[in-house]
Amino acid sequence: MNSDSPIVFVVDDDHRVREALSSLISSAGLRVAVFSSAAEFLESKRPDAPACLVLDLQLPGISGLELQQQLSAGDTPPIVFISGHGDIPSSVRAIKAGAVEFLPKPFDDQELLRAIDAAIDQDRTERQKRTELAELQSRYNLLTRREREVLPFVVAGYANKLTAADLGIAEITIGVHRGQIMRKMAAKSLADLVRMADRLGIARTAGAA
Amino acid sequence: MSGSAKSRNEVRLASSIPKGSATLESILCTDELQRRPSRPPDHAKENAAIVALASALAESRHTILETLADTILQVTDADSSGLSLLTADGATPDPKGERFYWPAIRGIWKEHVGGGTPRNFGPCGDVLDRDCTLLFRHFERRYPYLLPVSPAAVECLLVPFYVGGKAVGTIWAMMHSDRRGFDAEDHRLMNTLGRFASLAYQTLATIDDLKSEINAREKAERSLRELTDGLEMQVRTRTEELSLIIETIPGLVWCAAPDGELNYLNQRILNYTGTSPAEWAHDGWTRFLHPDDAEPAAHAWSRAVATGQPHDIQCRIRRSDGVYRWFRVLGQSARDSAGGVARWYGFLIDIDDRKNMEEALRSSQAQLSRAIQTATVGEFAAAIAHEINQPLTAVIANGQACLRWLAAEPPGIAKAQEAAERIVRDGKEAGQVVQRTRALFKHAAIDRIELDLNGVIGEVLHLLNGETARRGVTVETDLAENLAHVAGDRLQLQQLIFNLLLNAIEAMDPVPHGLRKLFICSKQPSPENVLVEMRDCGTGIKDPDRIFEAFFTTKENGMGMGLAICRSIIDAHRGQLWAASGEGPGTTFSFTLPIQARSS
Repeated sequence: MNSDSPIVFVVDDDHRVREALSSLISSAGLRVAVFSSAAEFLESKRPDAPACLVLDLQLPGISGLELQQQLSAGDTPPIVFISGHGDIPSSVRAIKAGAVEFLPKPFDDQELLRAIDAAIDQDRTERQKRTELAELQSRYNLLTRREREVLPFVVAGYANKLTAADLGIAEITIGVHRGQIMRKMAAKSLADLVRMADRLGIARTAGAA
Repeated sequence: MSGSAKSRNEVRLASSIPKGSATLESILCTDELQRRPSRPPDHAKENAAIVALASALAESRHTILETLADTILQVTDADSSGLSLLTADGATPDPKGERFYWPAIRGIWKEHVGGGTPRNFGPCGDVLDRDCTLLFRHFERRYPYLLPVSPAAVECLLVPFYVGGKAVGTIWAMMHSDRRGFDAEDHRLMNTLGRFASLAYQTLATIDDLKSEINAREKAERSLRELTDGLEMQVRTRTEELSLIIETIPGLVWCAAPDGELNYLNQRILNYTGTSPAEWAHDGWTRFLHPDDAEPAAHAWSRAVATGQPHDIQCRIRRSDGVYRWFRVLGQSARDSAGGVARWYGFLIDIDDRKNMEEALRSSQAQLSRAIQTATVGEFAAAIAHEINQPLTAVIANGQACLRWLAAEPPGIAKAQEAAERIVRDGKEAGQVVQRTRALFKHAAIDRIELDLNGVIGEVLHLLNGETARRGVTVETDLAENLAHVAGDRLQLQQLIFNLLLNAIEAMDPVPHGLRKLFICSKQPSPENVLVEMRDCGTGIKDPDRIFEAFFTTKENGMGMGLAICRSIIDAHRGQLWAASGEGPGTTFSFTLPIQARSS
């Protein structure tokens, strides 16, 4: 297994459950790291790989739901909850807060492993998106201030002439900026550039023709 | 007197004393004074001169010597006049000095002011040696160092003057021509002026002394003032610091006079209570206390004031919003040097949170025990389910892992084996949970030790202290001394007595406060048994026989488990438990336990 291979984090205060899950998950060919408390998990240095968090609902100290809340701020792996008391309000909360699955103990290995696979797939996609976004962002960072001013007009479909009038610069200059933007953003077409701008959250200039 | 005159005269003194000059007798003509015809005294002139001299002495002391020289010149009609004073440094009068200097000269010799002559070889020295008035004629014949001093002194009349019996200098009048010779009248005048010279000298000395005394005093005063200023500043700074500390520390600080009258309250106290210092005066402070605490607090304070012993009480004090909070009030007397109380210093500590915590702790203790007693079957089942569910989850997961390791290609035999071992281990643990649960209901083997039931009763009463206090129940005990020991499980017997007493306490809830009495006794009615009776003053029970059945309850929120548990404990200890509603109010619960056979 290389460092990019998926990893499953298990947080449960019962050592018997930790040991059993560790064995079960590794039997499915996945990397496993176990933690006895939310705090221990939070303090750990986690590898940069697609991951999934198998989280016990009832934990001493920071509870499972609290940990979920704390993690929601950052880039967190998707969560599969496990619980001894499958109470409905908790499961609803967990799923609403984005948990992949909520499994009452004891659970079937197929159920668990399926949930873990789904979670890892989800994380992989998320990570991919994040990487792409980061790449787009770094390209965007190459643009000059003037080019960034011109971009919203371009993606809004403004003709160079109109853009030039709005920004108070020569039409021919807009053409040059436009070419630079396409080149720096590595956009294959205007449609491609529009898609990139959307992903970067760049608003098109209002009142586009 | 100028420096050049002084150095000029010194040069002369050092270099011009020749040997074998004229004798003293040859230059003296003092006898002439008597022989010459004397002019008549001019009393008017003399009086005017002396009055001028006296007023100069009173008004302008620093020029008194010049005035004196002026006066001599005037009254003797001389060509020059002046004073010679003994000096050590050539500039200031000093009776121990070895030289004379001329601090003031008038007339023709005026320009020689500041000059002088040696003590041991000169006209002035001769006058002091002979201790009388001398008249010199051309004294430069004997004292050649006077040769260059011009014009030459044809006649010079010198009169010594004294201070405190010691000659300190001379006054003199001088003629530079034979215009006229000094006579007896001059002699008389000079003697009179000599006394003035003495007075002037003394005045100057006194002034100098005074000056230095004044200087010293001023200096002392200045340093004293600096010291007191410094001290004042320190005291002020220190006072400011102290009051800042007192006002800043997160404490409520007060001070009182020896008679107990409060005379200082820091801002925090006033802020807390929302009051002004005046409202606290004359025992006004008791109004800010909880009505139940005011009297005991006032009493404790007057006792402390009477004895001077440290004051330490707890009471509730009203906050500005009307809420009472518990405070610990501490006071300490400061003694004066005679050992009496000089002042009281004290502060208030907010102990409300601690008090509440203690109360909560007591109530949670009681709740805990009650929870054990009245736990619903459902809750109990849930707890047991969780206890079993955890190992069960592990067993299943391990089993599935084991199967997967075996099915793998190649099979993970070692991993499968580990998983199988964990299955066995966790399965056993689940089994133990089941066994323990069963033991709870079916009193299996109990941990018997030799026990003193009186001790167990005491422990339970201690645990129930909070509960009895809160409900206003008075507890009476009548425990037999040297009660024989029983064999039993301490925890189970504690639980038994706890349940019975709590039942009894709760049974008295409908009864008015003053009547809530709980009576406990232990005795040994036979050589085989120990008997414990617990009597309450509650409303009694209708079905004394059914109450020990499980799920039988007369309470609205009871589950009917408490007494059932009691019966199972008594059964396990081979004792008996029964209840009886007596003639009077209340119920008596009794149980017996067999006495532990004494080992030989």
